[in-house]
Amino acid sequence: MAKEFGTLFLFLAGGFVLSLVIVFVNWLLRPRNPSSAKARTYECGLETEGPTWVQFKISYYLYALIFVVFDVEVVFLYPWASSFKSAGLVPFVEMAIFIGVLALGIWFAWKKGAFEWN
Amino acid sequence: MDFSTLTLEIGAAALALILLVVGLFLPDGKKGQVGIVAALGFAFLLVLSFLAPGSKGPFFMGQYMNDGISVLFKQIFILGSLLVTLMSLRFTRRFEDARGEFYVLLAFSLVGMMGMAGATDFLTLYIALELMSIPLVVLTAFEKGSMRSTEAGMKYVLLGAMSSAILLFGLSFLYGAAGSFGYGAVMAALTGGQTGPLVVIGGIFALAGLAFKVAAVPFHMWSPDIYEGAPVPVTAFLAVASKAAGFAALLRFFPVVLVPLGLGMTTLIVLIAALSMVLGNLTAIPQTNIKRMLAWSSIAHAGYMLLGVMVASFAGAAALVYYLLVYLFANVGAFAAVTAWSELSGSDEISSFKGMWKKSPLISTVFIVSLLSLAGIPPAAGFIGKFFLFVEVAHKGYLWLVALALVMSVVSLYYYVSVIKTLVSEAPEGETSKADIPLALRAVMLVSAVSTVVLGVLPGPVMGYIRNILSTLSS
Amino acid sequence: MNEAVLLCLIPALPLVGFLLTGLLGKKLGRGLSSWIGTLTVAASFGLALTLFIAHPDGFAASGLGIQLFDWIPAAGLTIAFGLMLDPLSLIMTLVITGIGFLIHLYSIGYMKHDEGAPRFFSFLNLFVFSMLLLVLADNYALMFVGWEGVGLCSYLLIGFWFTKDEYNAAAVKAFVMNRIGDLGFLLGLFVMVATFGSLSFGEVFAKAGAMEAGAPALTLITLMLFVGAVGKSAQIPLYTWLPDAMAGPTPVSALIHAATMVTAGIYMVIRSHVLYDLAPIALTVISVVGLATAIWAGLIALSQRDIKKVLAYSTVSQLGFMFLTLGVGAYSTGYFHVFTHAFFKALLFLAAGSVIHALSGEQDIRKMGGLAKKLPITYITFLVGTLAISGIPPFAGFFSKDAILAAVYARSPLLWGLSIFAAFLTAFYMGRLFILVFHSKDRTTKGVHPHESPWTMTVPLIVLALGSTAAGFLGMPAVFGVPDWMAGFLAPSAGEYAVGLEEGTEWLLMGISTVVVLCGFIFAVLKYGPGKVVPTEDKKTRGPVRWSLRKFRVDEFYDALIVKPLFALSSWLFGTANDRGIDGVVRGTAGLVAWVGGRVRLLQTGNIVFYLFAMTLGVIVIAAVAALG
Repeated sequence: MAKEFGTLFLFLAGGFVLSLVIVFVNWLLRPRNPSSAKARTYECGLETEGPTWVQFKISYYLYALIFVVFDVEVVFLYPWASSFKSAGLVPFVEMAIFIGVLALGIWFAWKKGAFEWN
Repeated sequence: MDFSTLTLEIGAAALALILLVVGLFLPDGKKGQVGIVAALGFAFLLVLSFLAPGSKGPFFMGQYMNDGISVLFKQIFILGSLLVTLMSLRFTRRFEDARGEFYVLLAFSLVGMMGMAGATDFLTLYIALELMSIPLVVLTAFEKGSMRSTEAGMKYVLLGAMSSAILLFGLSFLYGAAGSFGYGAVMAALTGGQTGPLVVIGGIFALAGLAFKVAAVPFHMWSPDIYEGAPVPVTAFLAVASKAAGFAALLRFFPVVLVPLGLGMTTLIVLIAALSMVLGNLTAIPQTNIKRMLAWSSIAHAGYMLLGVMVASFAGAAALVYYLLVYLFANVGAFAAVTAWSELSGSDEISSFKGMWKKSPLISTVFIVSLLSLAGIPPAAGFIGKFFLFVEVAHKGYLWLVALALVMSVVSLYYYVSVIKTLVSEAPEGETSKADIPLALRAVMLVSAVSTVVLGVLPGPVMGYIRNILSTLSS
Repeated sequence: MNEAVLLCLIPALPLVGFLLTGLLGKKLGRGLSSWIGTLTVAASFGLALTLFIAHPDGFAASGLGIQLFDWIPAAGLTIAFGLMLDPLSLIMTLVITGIGFLIHLYSIGYMKHDEGAPRFFSFLNLFVFSMLLLVLADNYALMFVGWEGVGLCSYLLIGFWFTKDEYNAAAVKAFVMNRIGDLGFLLGLFVMVATFGSLSFGEVFAKAGAMEAGAPALTLITLMLFVGAVGKSAQIPLYTWLPDAMAGPTPVSALIHAATMVTAGIYMVIRSHVLYDLAPIALTVISVVGLATAIWAGLIALSQRDIKKVLAYSTVSQLGFMFLTLGVGAYSTGYFHVFTHAFFKALLFLAAGSVIHALSGEQDIRKMGGLAKKLPITYITFLVGTLAISGIPPFAGFFSKDAILAAVYARSPLLWGLSIFAAFLTAFYMGRLFILVFHSKDRTTKGVHPHESPWTMTVPLIVLALGSTAAGFLGMPAVFGVPDWMAGFLAPSAGEYAVGLEEGTEWLLMGISTVVVLCGFIFAVLKYGPGKVVPTEDKKTRGPVRWSLRKFRVDEFYDALIVKPLFALSSWLFGTANDRGIDGVVRGTAGLVAWVGGRVRLLQTGNIVFYLFAMTLGVIVIAAVAALG
């Protein structure tokens, strides 16, 4: 027990020390000539206009939600598809119901105007 | 796998989808008819639950269970949903085109509750709990124009998320100790001596998470605000069905997972119960809003019902189910009366009840019967419910707890009776319009009041049914 | 017809009356619903009388019982919904329905002009039903249902008329005080379940009979039950609700708060006498509480100025007498006083109601006087009531009070001395009341024209006056050479009791009590008789009279001791959950909470942060408790 934890501790300590060493070495080797361009938030791209804390339109969230739902659907479809031939009829029906339910959802969202950008 | 185990769950889920589709087909002005379809659907499910409660047994490798407890609880949930739907038919008119979704959400929440009653696995429990809670949050915030409703919804989200986090945290510790999500496996591991501080903390956190759902002290703080802010039928649904679901989960969880952790867990639940009874009843006294008062009263009732969980026996479960049924009718009756009255007077402050007797003896009678039942005055059913429950607690040897519960029910009398007093006393001079109560609401009130009296005078048949189902369908 | 069916009909008829008048009251109208309410009770009385005539021994052998259905099927404890008739419950039923009928009849006249008459009669019928259930129950659980039912009706009827807060408070007070007593009753029942595993009279008494006298469980049960009786029958310390209950209509005071409901506690103790016989400590407690109440309430009654309040305190005092008698083990004697008291106290209340009716609602005896000629029937009947309650032979109260005094004397001459003092007080305050109302100078408010009441009100008065005169002959002491019918009749259900005093002693006791009562009257005449001025200002009272007038400030005491702390606690608890309170707590609880509150205030409410904080704190505290425990 103690030995196992000891090994673990060694790894932890090693990782911690290594990261410190890397930071230190960088500090030693880096050139030191600061300029105003370097002090900016971005070294490339454009300056932001106006306040950065803007509210996103609620439609973004609707899109995102619906996207996530169908993204996750794929996760379920994959294992089923990979064993489609050996699985047989029952899983097929089950998957049909699953997709059917999701289809109902998309129909609902559609009818409710979730896909209209206004 | 025998899918007939899930007859009721499948039925409820199908109903939810059907309602969704029906809502899409109806023209804009007629969305309210979804409510009628929903009522018919719930009534059908209720009948189905008696005729074909689903074959008994575990499902999906022991993650789910259909037995006496879950069948009885499912019947309570369906009954609650049916009554709340009937209560809402007129009420939801104010939601215009979103009326259909109201019932869809009720149905989805019902599916979640059923899952909570059947879950015998941490993950199933958690998913069912969220499936129940998320629609409830939306229902709470359903009155989009109302600040209070929106605020209540937001509070419910945040506090519910917190309680979920606590529950999950606790469950993860238990999982760590047992190496399994299944209740049975956890019990085997725990009784095999796998206890320690971390496991006990896991148990406490899990208990706290579930105590939130039943609104027991000190996890009760959400309920007065949310009860007050939510639309009245939703409040009734929260007070009745969601609380019952919490108890269903506790009834399964406590004896199997928590009791093996040692006596400390029983002490803990006794402590929570005692605190709920004392704080709930005392704080209900100065309330001026009826929904807040009923919220505090429901906290106190959670305390009484936790005693039934604590007993952890067959008879205790029967007494708890009976109490929940009694509590359901009493609360639905009270909230239906509040709904009817607030349509008339436009207020749910207790002071607005003056002259209720003169304006509408029906509303007043239902209200009085319900409050007397909550207070536990015979012949209303609350007395018998408390009697069953306290007898079991006395058998368990906790006489002081019975004494405390009785003292607290005397205290509770004070605020219930004050409300009755207000509504019986004469109105200050003013015009009296005739009460126009929608038929469905009238039916709900009558059914609740009559059931309350019948359950109080003739508890035999129902108690016999509960015992019968518990013993024939239990393992 | 089957007698068991008749038995079921006795409580069922008032229930039907309640449902009819309650549900259809508006359609039936005032007159019809009044008569339905009255006649259902009359029919119950007829049935009870039929059963009594058919069985003059009151089913002494084994009682008449019927079990309607299994009512509470708890695990290992099944309680039937069963009714039982034996001598005790039969005579109680006769009193409830008989006097109940008269009071219903009286109410027809009394409530004639009241819009709420149907509601009034429906409540009154519900009361009769509950009271019959209480009396006829064959187990404690069902008795408790009746017990709560009468409390509920009493509450509904006390608050019947009034919109004023103080009357509402009186109703709530009565209910809550009763419930404190009921709490004891219920606890007793739970201990009973734990001890005997049953709540049915037969089984409990049989099992208790096998136990040793003075067993702790028995003492606990009997004391707990007595707490219930103290609440219901208004004994020290739970008596203050009864005088306040006089806010209700007068027929209610007569029926519920004098003749029937308040004697439920005594009925219950007699019913459980098997248990009490085995619990000497409980009996001692009962006699002490009873005697103390008899004297205490008598002292308060001396100076009350509301005609009904005098009678209310007098009721409390008489109930104290009854408990005293039960405490010395003379159950049938105690019941005898319940019986006679039902007549004369109902009479006094109804007569008082007639006076109040005549004076258009005036209840202050300082504004009465000289009514003898204007209300002749009321005057005569009130006089009969006064003589009966004071114990002047041959009126009913004489025999029952004499029997009580004899039984007490046989136990302890000291107790007897104190009781005779209480009897003196009775005579004094009744004499005072009588003189101030009917004789002395006319002090009625100008413009009020007293008139005698209609026949529906005077007939009950006359019947009750006859009863108050004759009821005593049913329980004549042995020295008169007439058999004591009451004691013999009740013996099967209340146990045998013999005073066991010598004949000479009994005559002497009778003589002394009569003289003492006469002295009481004489004092009253001397103080309030012709030529004396009646004080009309509060200022003029001082010393002990003032204390008596202020009811010894018991209400204030209870207020300070119980009500205020409870409210303070409640509003403190409320404060912690209230919007305003939250801020207070956040500010008040030392730095940390405030700091957290300020830092984490992401949302405008501030509330929710505290909720989350409290939840977390709850988990931590609970974990700590579990770790320690």
